[in-house]
Amino acid sequence: MSMMAVAEQTETETVAEKKSPGKALWLLAPGVIWMSLFLVLPMLMMVYVSFWTQTTFTIEPTLTLKSWVTFFTSDTYLGALWTTVRIWLIVLVATVLVGYPAALFVGLFVKNKALQTVLLVLCVIPFWTSFLIRVLAWRPMLGKEGAINMILMNLGITDAPIEVLLFSELSVIIGMTQIYCVFMVGPIAFMLGRIDTSIIEAAQDLGAGFWRIFRTIILPLSMPGVVVGAIFVSVMVLGEFATSAALSGRKVNLLGNIIVTQVGSLKWAFAAVAGVVLTILMGAVVAALLRVVDLRKEL
Amino acid sequence: MSTVLQLKNITKTYGDMRALNGIDLALPGDAYISLLGPSGSGKTTLLRVIAGFEHPDGGAILFDGKRIDTVPPHKRGIGFVFQNFALFPHLSVAQNIAFGLENRDVDPVADRRLVDTRVRDIISLVGLSGLEGRAVTQISGGQRQRVALARTLVTEPRMVLLDEPLGALDANLRARMRAELRAIRERCGVTFLHVTGSEAEALAMGDTVLVLESGRIAQSADSDTVYNRPASPAVARFLNCYNLFPGRIEGGVFVGGSGQFALGSATPSRAASPAYAIRYDRVSVRPREAAIAEDEIRIEANFVASEYSGAAVNSFFALDDGRVFEVESHLSHAAPETYAEQGRYALVWKREDALVYA
Repeated sequence: MSMMAVAEQTETETVAEKKSPGKALWLLAPGVIWMSLFLVLPMLMMVYVSFWTQTTFTIEPTLTLKSWVTFFTSDTYLGALWTTVRIWLIVLVATVLVGYPAALFVGLFVKNKALQTVLLVLCVIPFWTSFLIRVLAWRPMLGKEGAINMILMNLGITDAPIEVLLFSELSVIIGMTQIYCVFMVGPIAFMLGRIDTSIIEAAQDLGAGFWRIFRTIILPLSMPGVVVGAIFVSVMVLGEFATSAALSGRKVNLLGNIIVTQVGSLKWAFAAVAGVVLTILMGAVVAALLRVVDLRKEL
Repeated sequence: MSTVLQLKNITKTYGDMRALNGIDLALPGDAYISLLGPSGSGKTTLLRVIAGFEHPDGGAILFDGKRIDTVPPHKRGIGFVFQNFALFPHLSVAQNIAFGLENRDVDPVADRRLVDTRVRDIISLVGLSGLEGRAVTQISGGQRQRVALARTLVTEPRMVLLDEPLGALDANLRARMRAELRAIRERCGVTFLHVTGSEAEALAMGDTVLVLESGRIAQSADSDTVYNRPASPAVARFLNCYNLFPGRIEGGVFVGGSGQFALGSATPSRAASPAYAIRYDRVSVRPREAAIAEDEIRIEANFVASEYSGAAVNSFFALDDGRVFEVESHLSHAAPETYAEQGRYALVWKREDALVYA
C-alpha cells in the first residue's frame, strides 16, 4: 500500500520533470536564433570559403585544397602559427606568475570584503584606458630613448640603450601580460576568497608550515580559478593582432595579423584557412584546460 | 594528575571589549574538561589563544611547564577541532587524516607504510572503517565530526581543544556523540577541553566543568558541585535551573522585590551583588489556602503556562512584580497536575534549599 503510494508519487514527479523543460526551452530561443545566424552560420561559411579557389584578384566558389596546401607548406604561415603558440604560452605563464601572487594577497590576506572589492576594481583600471592611449603610453616608456632605458643608463646599470624593449617579441609579451593579467587575477582571487579560513588554521594546527599549506591546500583549491583565468587569457591572446601590430613594428606576425593582412588584400580563401586553423587551435586549448580540473565539481 | 596546561592572568582586548579579563587556569592531564559559557563570554577567544591563532595582550601560557605564548600554532602540539570541522574538501577521508603526519614541520612521517598503519588504527578507533576512500563531502555530519577528531588525534597531541564540537549535529546524533567522545578520549588518554554553550552538555561530559563569565573563570569544579552550588548568581543563571531574585540581606532576612525570605542556617556565599536562588525542581505548587510548615517559604503567583518535556513538566508563574518564576515537576513522582489559567497559587520551598549570595 505504502509502496504503491511511493511509486505513484515518483511517477507524478517524473511527469512534472518531463513537462517543465519542454516549456522552459522557449527561453533558449532568442539566444539560439541569434547565435545560429551570427556565429554558427558565419563559421560554417568560413570553413566553406577556405576551400574556394583564390586567384590574384578574384575568388570563385570552385572547391579546391590549394589554399590549405599553401598554408601548410609556407614558412610564413607556419612561422606565424608557431609564433602564436609560443607567445600564447609565454604570456600565459607570465600572467600566472604576475597574477597569482596578487590574487593570493587579495583573496587570502585581505580579510575585509570591501577592501577586497576595491583592490579587484583597481586591477581593472588599466582596462578603462583605451587601447590606443595605452599603446601611445608604452612607446615613451619602452623606446630606445624611453624612460626605462634613460633610468638604467643614468644609474649606470647599462651603457647603451636596450633596444629589445620596443618593437620586438619582448615588448609584445610585456604589453599582453599587462592587458590580460586582470583576467587571471579575478577568477583566482574569487576561488581563494572562497577558502574557509578555518581550513588553513586547521592545517596550521596539524603542524604544517606556510609553504606546505600553500602546496597541499591553497594551490589545489585555487586550481579551478587558474583554469578559468587561463581560458580567458588563452582565448584572448590566441586571437590577438592589435597589440602585436602596435608594439612589434610588424616584426611579430601572429595568426591574427595574417588574417588581417589577407582580408586587407582580399585573399578571402587564405584568411578563411587561417581562421579555421585558429578556431581549431582555440578549441583544442580550451578543451585541454578543461581536462585539468573538473569545473562541474566547483560550481 | 599532573598539570598539562596552565594559564596565568591571560588578557585579550578587541577595541574597547575585554574578551578575556585575567584568566587563571590549570588543566590536569588525562581528563575531560568542559568549558561552559554563554555566547560572548569569550570562550572561543580563550580556545584560539590556547591554540595560538590569537595572541594574548598579557599573561603567560605554560604547556608541559614551558612557555608557549610566542610559539606559532603549528609547533605547539595542541590539537584543535573546529566547530564546522574545517575538513580539507579536496582530500579523501584517509588523506584528511594523514595530512598532519605527512605535512607537519616537526618530525614528519615520510614512511608511507607507517602513515597507512597509523591512519588505519585511528580510523578504527573512531569507527570510520570502510569510509577511507570517500570524499569528505560524501559523508554525514557525524562521520565528518569523527574525521575531524581522527585527523587531530593521529598526530598524538598532548591536549585537544574542541570548539562546540557537537553544535553542528542534530539532537539525536549529539546525544550519541557525547558518549562516543568520552570513550574515545579515555582510549587515547589525552586531555580534552570541550567548549560549549549548552549547560546539559557541559555537565554531562566534563570531569571538571569550568564556567566562563565575562572574560573570567567564574567557577571550576565537578559537575555536581557546579549544579548544586553555583559559585555566583551569574553561574546559577547560565545553568538555567534556578529562579533568581536580586535584593539585600537585613538581619537574617533576604529582602527582594518579590517578598521577604527568611534565611536558612547556611552562611551566604560571597558574590558581587546579593541574590537569592531557588532551583526549579525544589519548589512545589499548592492551593492558596494550604498551610505551610515552619521551615518553608511561600509566595503567591499567577499561573501562566506549562511546557511538557516527557520526564518533567515546567510551569511558568508570573509574580506580582512581573517577574517569571519557573517550577519543574518530575513526572516519575506524580501525574502532571493541571493548573487553572491565570489561577493564583502558592509556591512553596524549604528554607534550607535556597542558595543565598551576599
